[in-house]
Amino acid sequence: MTDQLTGLGRPLDLRGHFDNRGLTPTSDLAGGAFNVWSNTFPAEQLPPQDSIVEVGGVLFEFPARGHGGDNLRCGGQLIELPPGRYDWLYLLAAAERHTEDLLYLHYINGSVDPEWLRVSDFWPQTPDRFGALEAYRCTTMHYPRHVQRGVDPVIWRHRVPVPRHAELGAIRLPDNPAAHIFAITPVPADGGQP
Amino acid sequence: MKVELAGVRAWRHDLAGCLHACVGTLVEHAGFAPLEVLGANWQFYYRPGDVRPEEYYFPCPDGRSLLGSLAPRHPIDSRWRWPDDAEQGWQQVREQVAAGTPVAVAVDNFEVPFRPAYRDVHSNHLVVVYGFDDERRTATVLDAIPPFFAGELPLSVLAAARDSGNRSAHARDMFFADDPIGNRWLQLVVEGPPASTEPSSFLAQNLKEFQAGSEPGCYRGRDGVAQFLADMIDRLEAGYSVADELFVVAGVALASTAVHADWVADSGRRLQLPGWPELARQTSRMAYHWSALRILAALSRTGEVNAARLRSRRVALLAELDRTLAAVETVLAAQ
Repeated sequence: MTDQLTGLGRPLDLRGHFDNRGLTPTSDLAGGAFNVWSNTFPAEQLPPQDSIVEVGGVLFEFPARGHGGDNLRCGGQLIELPPGRYDWLYLLAAAERHTEDLLYLHYINGSVDPEWLRVSDFWPQTPDRFGALEAYRCTTMHYPRHVQRGVDPVIWRHRVPVPRHAELGAIRLPDNPAAHIFAITPVPADGGQP
Repeated sequence: MKVELAGVRAWRHDLAGCLHACVGTLVEHAGFAPLEVLGANWQFYYRPGDVRPEEYYFPCPDGRSLLGSLAPRHPIDSRWRWPDDAEQGWQQVREQVAAGTPVAVAVDNFEVPFRPAYRDVHSNHLVVVYGFDDERRTATVLDAIPPFFAGELPLSVLAAARDSGNRSAHARDMFFADDPIGNRWLQLVVEGPPASTEPSSFLAQNLKEFQAGSEPGCYRGRDGVAQFLADMIDRLEAGYSVADELFVVAGVALASTAVHADWVADSGRRLQLPGWPELARQTSRMAYHWSALRILAALSRTGEVNAARLRSRRVALLAELDRTLAAVETVLAAQ
């Protein structure tokens, strides 16, 4: 599957940062809690674990599964990147009510710049407000005791610009747990090697 | 007798809940513009400990009614009605609808088949009733909160939802449980036709309210936000749970701020007002602090969020509020 896909960027391995489980199979409805009400995305309607997927021309590792779950709630984590000259950071993400916040780009030369991270709402029947791409829309949502039909939670593809012509080495996420990130892929300036 | 009122439309803002949705529908049916009614007013007011486990909770200052607080500069008021029992509750609602007026009724989601929480979670929710069929023993109900529903509900089901004790039974019965529904319903009182008001006068009044100092026994305005959050943080640090109170009050602030931002944007577009689109965007940025704070509050319940994290958000939120109020001043000065 991986070999057949073409797309931009090198997906980051976020497993060590995952602290939330947002995808569950129907056999384990109560096994996760994406939001405060313990709703989750139906895993059967998403790619198999550890897939490399292409969304809008960009490659992501999704869904990955780490010890702490399959996504991270933004909580001020420092995410290290392979040093490189990137134009964009692409994300698969969803929020509990759409939100925006500052993340910080840490360049190898010591410069640090804030940039806006915007994440659209995962909640069914709720429009994107930030110009995101719809990455995955499910047809059901999981509740701890039942599968709810007729509701369609969404995972979005967002992006954050990297304006400096300098090597980026890390990003500091905001402390905003309303925003969940499933995958990040930095895309180099020439679309290929960093 | 069978009635289904015409001109009843769903209204919803994605950062607000059932209160704004229901009131939007009711005021539009009465001839008012929902976004103006719900979005022109923007302020902060809260009395310590006033919070109630209602999805439609809204703090009401100075003995004002719900609509008198939500939309204080429009000729609209409201009255909560508390019938003696389920039968009287239905007769009162039926009478209103038969006379041509839709009403909002409180329900326990646990008893409502079209709600995802059906037979799962108790939650004190608000829906609109806009029709009935005496022969079929049904009511026609509108709920704009996802999953959207507009259709018939057996009267026996509606009665069970309205008469529920809303008692919590497990850990997910949080925030909006343990408040008996009591068949309550909301009556809209229209005091006059929609008035044509200069949008900047709303901004000026909002700014004045935010600049007024807090009074003893209540949090009001910009200083009220600062003091409310400081007190919540102190209480969490002292070992008290603040999750319910902070989650619900932050939800109210989020809804008010976000709907206001959309009203500013809409007014700016319609009337070609310089600076208003940027002010709208700044105001929405303010709203997103409340999205963050709302979830931080919820996670404080399990200890995942501590006082230090709330303190840091408070600093950022107040700085954003100051920027937003300064932007309002700038726009008003340029008029």
